Amino acid sequence: MRVLVVEDDTDLNRQLVGALSDAGYAVDSALDGEEGYYLGDTEPYDLIILDIGLPKMDGISILEQWRRSDKKVPVIILTARDRWSDKVQGIDAGADDYLAKPFHMEELLARARAQLRRAAGHAKSEIECGPVRLDTNSARVTCSGEPIKLTSHEFRLLAYLMHHRGRVVSRTELVEHLYDQDFDRDSNTIEVFIGRLRKKIPAEIIETVRGLGYRITAEDDAN
Amino acid sequence: MRIDSIAFRLIVASMAWVLLVLPLAGFLIYALYREDVQKSFDAQLEKLVTAITIDSMQPVDNTPAAPTNRYEPLFEVTHSGWYWQIEPLDGQSTPTLRSASLATASLPSPMALGYPPDPETNMRWRNDVGPDGKPVRIVEVIDRLGHASDGPRYSIVVAGPSEWLEFSVSTFRNRLTAALAVAGAALLALMLFQVRFGLAPLKRVEEALAEIRSGKATRLEGGVPAEIEPLRDELNALIQSNEDIIERARTQVGNLAHGLKTPLAVITNEARESKGPLGTKVIEQAKVMTDQVQHYLERARMAARVGVIGRVTPLKEVVDPLVRALEKINSGKGVKIVVNCPPDAAFQGEKQDLEEMLGNLLDNACKWSKARVTLDVEQKKPATATGRKRLKIIVADDGPGLTKDQRARIGRRGLRLDETKPGTGLGLSIAIDLAQSYRGSLNLDQSKMGGLKAILDLPAA
Repeated sequence: MRVLVVEDDTDLNRQLVGALSDAGYAVDSALDGEEGYYLGDTEPYDLIILDIGLPKMDGISILEQWRRSDKKVPVIILTARDRWSDKVQGIDAGADDYLAKPFHMEELLARARAQLRRAAGHAKSEIECGPVRLDTNSARVTCSGEPIKLTSHEFRLLAYLMHHRGRVVSRTELVEHLYDQDFDRDSNTIEVFIGRLRKKIPAEIIETVRGLGYRITAEDDAN
Repeated sequence: MRIDSIAFRLIVASMAWVLLVLPLAGFLIYALYREDVQKSFDAQLEKLVTAITIDSMQPVDNTPAAPTNRYEPLFEVTHSGWYWQIEPLDGQSTPTLRSASLATASLPSPMALGYPPDPETNMRWRNDVGPDGKPVRIVEVIDRLGHASDGPRYSIVVAGPSEWLEFSVSTFRNRLTAALAVAGAALLALMLFQVRFGLAPLKRVEEALAEIRSGKATRLEGGVPAEIEPLRDELNALIQSNEDIIERARTQVGNLAHGLKTPLAVITNEARESKGPLGTKVIEQAKVMTDQVQHYLERARMAARVGVIGRVTPLKEVVDPLVRALEKINSGKGVKIVVNCPPDAAFQGEKQDLEEMLGNLLDNACKWSKARVTLDVEQKKPATATGRKRLKIIVADDGPGLTKDQRARIGRRGLRLDETKPGTGLGLSIAIDLAQSYRGSLNLDQSKMGGLKAILDLPAA
């Protein structure tokens, strides 16, 4: 899952990037409104954390422009202005959730997980595919009840596929959504990680669709 | 009517001139009339004395002829008030002639009594009492009755009843007084009307001000008289500057919030990373600072509101955006907010404050609810005739609710009953503070759906 953080306070920006990276997301960051707008407009993020008070271009305008150009990415806005009129203004501009400063990083992470689940159409915090079960809250994967140990890259890959189960996900999409913008996109690491995953969970769960990409069959389809 | 009012001043001033001018005019008219009546009476007497003089000219035998009474039949009636007398002067022995009305009485000659002649007509005038005991006006002509210029002279005296004169004048005076009194009363009534009519725009201004005070209007609008226009403009400018000051205060408070909260977020996050006693202490103190900032920001916002000219906030204006926003935030959970609000319901107060109260209550309800939150608004008639309408706003959810004991403790600043759900623990206490600042209240109860029911009582507009 690829996340963009737009926050002008360098310390808070660093903390947000750190916490989100630790939680297993590929994170890009911007320190001002213009850069943030550009990144959000051009890169395919799965979630954007957007501060409202930004230099060069304020958060509300950025959000409105994204929504006007039909970007549907979930956006959580951050702001010190915690009046309800500000919150309503943010939501009406197109934000999906709202977090007032100062906030607990755990809360931000919980809301981020909720938005990612919601965007993928899952209401519950657990996603199941056959015997494989992903708990998005604790970032744990079990197979038939047994915990499975995954590296951070393996986890990201599996989590993305499970969030979009039932849909063919291309290799390009995986690269775009799993790694931040500095990642070397020519490498064939995706195939390497798919191979490793197939050894840790039942291999038939991840289906290779030739020429198109990979798919995890949704529970309902499997039945 | 108050003594220090403009109406009182105008009425007193106009009363003063009515009371001064009307009697003066009355006196003048009376004097003119009296003079006029006197003159015409005198003219009549003059005519009679001339006629009698001519009538009695008998130059042949030195004896004046008795004049005929064809000019005034009342000369024949005893004590009628109309008399004449022809008295020979210069020691003549001829008898004095008198009108029948005089009977045995005689008319004293003004010349004999020393009255000077009128230089123009050579007649002498005096007022006296006649033989009948009533006032008479007497005129005397000294004439030789046709004799040569060295012949003997006669005193010809004619008297007429001046009682009639007095009567006519006093009747006129009474009528004049009555007419002037009626005119004065009519003038005063007109003046009262004029004052009311003239000051009516002030009354309208007063009503417009009351509307502003009660929040039904924000500016003094509409046509006012030219004299009040500067006052209206100044007043509108004052209201505007008042609003600007409040807006500035709010903006500054917001800026302060932004300035403090980001560093606090950074400190807290940093401290969470570093394990150990220092980190714990920093987290603890940062929490205290956060609460303090929040607390004083709220106070500053409330203080900025004190003295604001009253506002009216239609409930729809606040409820609709809040419901839209909260349903979107909670769309993952699929919470539905059912609103039951009369379209004309309005809150007597600031929009932002209502937003805070309702936002916090609805947010809380959404956070705990399973699927359904209800918002019911009722308008309550005042309990007394002078009382104001109240609003009863009920927010209920179908969540787990609170026990009686928990409900009693909630609302204490920063107290969070369940640390597992996010929040500052300030939401309800902010709503309570705000409700109290409007002399309203927030009470908690058990809802029929099983969850919490918050009942907000606020002034309606």
